[in-house]
Amino acid sequence: MIGFENVRKEYPGGTLAVQDFSLEIASHESVVLVGTSGSGKTTLMRMINRMVDPTSGRVHIDGDDVTSLDPVQLRRSIGYVMQASGLLPHRTVLDNITTVPVLRGTAKREARTHAHELMEIVGLDAALAERYPSQLSGGQQQRVGVARGLAADPNILLMDEPFGAVDPIVRAELQRELQHLQRDLRKTIVFVTHDIDEAFLLGDRVAILRPGGIIAQVGTPQEILADPADDFVSSFVGADRGARTLHVERVDGRDVVVDADGRPAGVLAASGDRSAGEGAADGRTRERSS
Amino acid sequence: MSTTSATATQVLFDAPGPKGRRRILLLSILSVVLIAALLIGALWQFHANGQLEPSKWIVYLRADYLAFLGHGLWGTLKVTALAAVIAFPFGLLLALARLSRFLPLRTLAVTWIEFFRGIPMLLVVYAFLLALPAFGVTFPRFWMLVIPMILVSSATTAEVFRAGIKAVDVGQHEAADAIGLSRRDSLVHVVLPQAVRLVLPSLILALVTLLKDSTLGYVVSYNELQFQGKTLVSITRYLVQTYLVISVIYIVINLLLTRLALALDARMKARAAAS
Repeated sequence: MIGFENVRKEYPGGTLAVQDFSLEIASHESVVLVGTSGSGKTTLMRMINRMVDPTSGRVHIDGDDVTSLDPVQLRRSIGYVMQASGLLPHRTVLDNITTVPVLRGTAKREARTHAHELMEIVGLDAALAERYPSQLSGGQQQRVGVARGLAADPNILLMDEPFGAVDPIVRAELQRELQHLQRDLRKTIVFVTHDIDEAFLLGDRVAILRPGGIIAQVGTPQEILADPADDFVSSFVGADRGARTLHVERVDGRDVVVDADGRPAGVLAASGDRSAGEGAADGRTRERSS
Repeated sequence: MSTTSATATQVLFDAPGPKGRRRILLLSILSVVLIAALLIGALWQFHANGQLEPSKWIVYLRADYLAFLGHGLWGTLKVTALAAVIAFPFGLLLALARLSRFLPLRTLAVTWIEFFRGIPMLLVVYAFLLALPAFGVTFPRFWMLVIPMILVSSATTAEVFRAGIKAVDVGQHEAADAIGLSRRDSLVHVVLPQAVRLVLPSLILALVTLLKDSTLGYVVSYNELQFQGKTLVSITRYLVQTYLVISVIYIVINLLLTRLALALDARMKARAAAS
């Protein structure tokens, strides 16, 4: 369990990144912090592995105040996946994945065997093991980033806009695979994004942040969509634009789901005809709003 | 070489229009004519003074002359290589000291770097040749040349390394932090490997500087290429010919080194573009 207690972060020079933030994240839960830039979401996430120390307040993991833990040891026990992967360009894929386990004292051969398994789990071809990051596509690099985050078998996985820099099709694919991964691994995931659709897709719970790390609303995607706390939340999730109010229109003998402006959002699937691809995301929206 | 500089120019300037192209062509022709005239004038002067006589040049094909100059070339390469092998790692240590969080170490490094970077190498050589012996400290001729080269070169390469370390992407420091590398691990496994790759071309150019600095060997009478040439002149009196031959040797070596640096640079740019 991760707990934030009245956390505040002020930078020298007076910039107030986080005013007063409290939240509890249960074990095996995935929580998405979503907000625009300046909402302090990344700052908050980095407090968990002590890349940022709060000015006041407490962050604890399973009851231990993180400030009582050695930052280097703490970070090695927490997986971290960052935007643009942050891979080491002069090391091969396999060496990138095994960096942390080897530092923690795992035998090199054992770490490499495990790394091969991880590559399979995140959907990377074994032939890529000896390649360098620059020889991979953006989506493949992100997969290596996820494999590296999982390499030390951490209980907690922090993900800082990990899919922000890849194209929409690859992003959808990576999001889907993360869902599958989480179904099997049940890590505690803290995920940061500015994309509300991504947040609703990946979060068991979603915390929508205003500037200054103030929680506008926290809850399951269903709760937030069904009952937005205020206008800020409504506008953030797109409810005010009618993007979330869907209804069915019949076109060429098929049921097309359209939003309030009549823009198509997807096709209503016949029972047993769940199409792959984008349908998964749209399917959920449809289920909720019908 | 020309291709890299051409693309660099295109990035920095707009492509010239028809008027500009005509002006550039005119200026190019004028300067070529001017340079050709100067060369012809020089050759004419040489001819008028009998410097172009074949007998004054043919001697440089004689085995003993070549061996004499070859001995000097060997001396030059030996001095340069030894100075580089010691000065470059030392420069790296100085750069790290300058970036250290420990203030006294930082001050020491800054003082060292600024002192030896600012002072002409000739003065350092004089210190070893004239000043130190007055206090009873003497070195063999070889070291009277190599030590000043190391002192000066370590200071300049320290700045090269520092620039390289600073040039490593901030995201890489962050990534190293995030996955739990200690400061030392991050330096050894993440920052230095990338910094050294970044500055490799600049280091080769530092080698060119070092090679040219070795000509100060004549001050301490160490048998490097230029000093051998000086000796040769005092025997044959063929001043123009000897120094022209020596210049060509220096230019060829430095050209090869510069080519190597550019090739490495291009390879790294290609790699960076692929990412």
